[in-house]
Amino acid sequence: MGDGKRVYLTKEQILTDLRDGMADAVDLGDIPELSGDELDKLMDIITMPSRMVGVEAGMEVPVTHDIGTIRLDGDQGNSGVGIPSSRLVGCMVHERAFGADTMELGHIDYSFKPVKPVIAQEMQTMEVCQQNMIIPLLYGAMPNMGLYYTPDGPFENPGDLMKAFKIQEAQESMEHAAKHLTRDIVWIMQRMMASGADGVNFDTVGAAGDGDMYASLHAIEALRKQYPDMYIEAGMAGELMLGLHGEMAYDGTVLAGLWPHQQAPLVAKAGANIFGPVVNTNTSKSFAWNLGRAVTFVKAAVKASPIPCHVNMGMGVGGIPMLETPTIDAVSRASKAMVEIANVDGI
Amino acid sequence: MSKEETFKLLSDAVVSCKKDAVLAAVEKAKSEGIEPAEIIEKGLASGMNSVGIMFERGKLFLPHVMMAAGAMEAGVKLLEADMPKDAAKKKLAVIVNGTVEGDVHDIGKSIVSTMLQSSGFEVHDLGRDVPLQDFIDKVKETGASMVGMSALMTTTLPGQREVIEMLKEQGLRDKVKVMVGGAPATQTWADKIGADCYAENASEAVARAKELLL
Repeated sequence: MGDGKRVYLTKEQILTDLRDGMADAVDLGDIPELSGDELDKLMDIITMPSRMVGVEAGMEVPVTHDIGTIRLDGDQGNSGVGIPSSRLVGCMVHERAFGADTMELGHIDYSFKPVKPVIAQEMQTMEVCQQNMIIPLLYGAMPNMGLYYTPDGPFENPGDLMKAFKIQEAQESMEHAAKHLTRDIVWIMQRMMASGADGVNFDTVGAAGDGDMYASLHAIEALRKQYPDMYIEAGMAGELMLGLHGEMAYDGTVLAGLWPHQQAPLVAKAGANIFGPVVNTNTSKSFAWNLGRAVTFVKAAVKASPIPCHVNMGMGVGGIPMLETPTIDAVSRASKAMVEIANVDGI
Repeated sequence: MSKEETFKLLSDAVVSCKKDAVLAAVEKAKSEGIEPAEIIEKGLASGMNSVGIMFERGKLFLPHVMMAAGAMEAGVKLLEADMPKDAAKKKLAVIVNGTVEGDVHDIGKSIVSTMLQSSGFEVHDLGRDVPLQDFIDKVKETGASMVGMSALMTTTLPGQREVIEMLKEQGLRDKVKVMVGGAPATQTWADKIGADCYAENASEAVARAKELLL
């Protein structure tokens, strides 16, 4: 199940759930169904007897990483395993032991805003990492526009304003915050590029709603203009762009309510090289239901995207159950399905 | 304009989330001699129902829901003078709603409160990080027939079970229906703790409340 509970289903039940999950994506996104052959293949992948599965030979895809080295050295209730190690060691372990095709350097707080006071340390670490590594090393962080609102930032919290029915004031607060977020991201990345970074990974774009995406797209646009050759990866926070503002638009398109296949062209238009679609896991539904739904959404995003798509695969996304350490049977099956059926360019 | 067309005009005005459009549509409906109760039920409430469906499907969002609710409220106010005194104030049922202690998540619970209010329920929103006894005290104070509890973290989810136990201990459980929700909550969880219902989103919360209370 999506919450990690182990259940036993018949082949018929699995097929029904696959179809229902697919139908949900088709209905919400107004996108095409999977073909009969694709559903059969999904069924084969799910019912393979092996504990762990892999893609067919010749279909291997690049694997990029987010969350920096926190999965190794983090131990504060995040996704880390608490191994004491420097970030240089962490990055090199990803490159040389885990087989990562790109890596990113990230700060322990992992949002752009808190990087500002420690920018010199980030620049120094980036330089040292670049001197020791071969694979592209990006700088990664979350736009996390929520940090710009009270009590963490200078702008009045839209949540508080909306509770008081001050909708217009809430929208204005988001617009102000978005401008500052764009400015901060560009400022930070100018310095990281000066220190040898190969590019930037925007992790969880839209986590604070449409204003967050608006700010990120404008930052991507500004960075692309200044650095024509830099590598820009933009991974989303969720499948649906939540309209906390409701009316913010980029290039004439209202951001609120966009699904992955509608987000991809905008991210490309802003100037990113890689789009990271996300499909959320429903914890009350089975793995088959979630995978049928996720593959349908991501396949449509890949088709609509003018740039390569590296799908987000991890706990609670991409059809994978919502567990801190997701089971390898679900992770490997969902990943295989994304590569072989949704045709993603990377993970 | 036929009655059906006027109801559609009212409904569309609510969906547009524009107060001016709702007020104009209400004035028009009044001038056509349509009863206030019909204007509300078949026009404005129908529009709010559409807003709920569009919200659920990701076509409209929280600011839109709030603007639509505000516009509908203004429309209803315009009709109050023409309605019998009791009818204007009559609510479907009283519901106490809040996010349990230790959990500061607010938005989802607020949407549920707004949608319940817009659907005709009297809602006492206790806010977030609510001490569990406060749910019980508010039920006693208001005579509520339902308690809604939200929890967005697995660590605060047990608060929902504790409130149910407290309702039992204080002899209120048979008089009050319990609805639970929040990201980690599921139907299985609701069954396990003995809640009366689980709602995945705001529209479902309204539907479940109507099923249980009306």
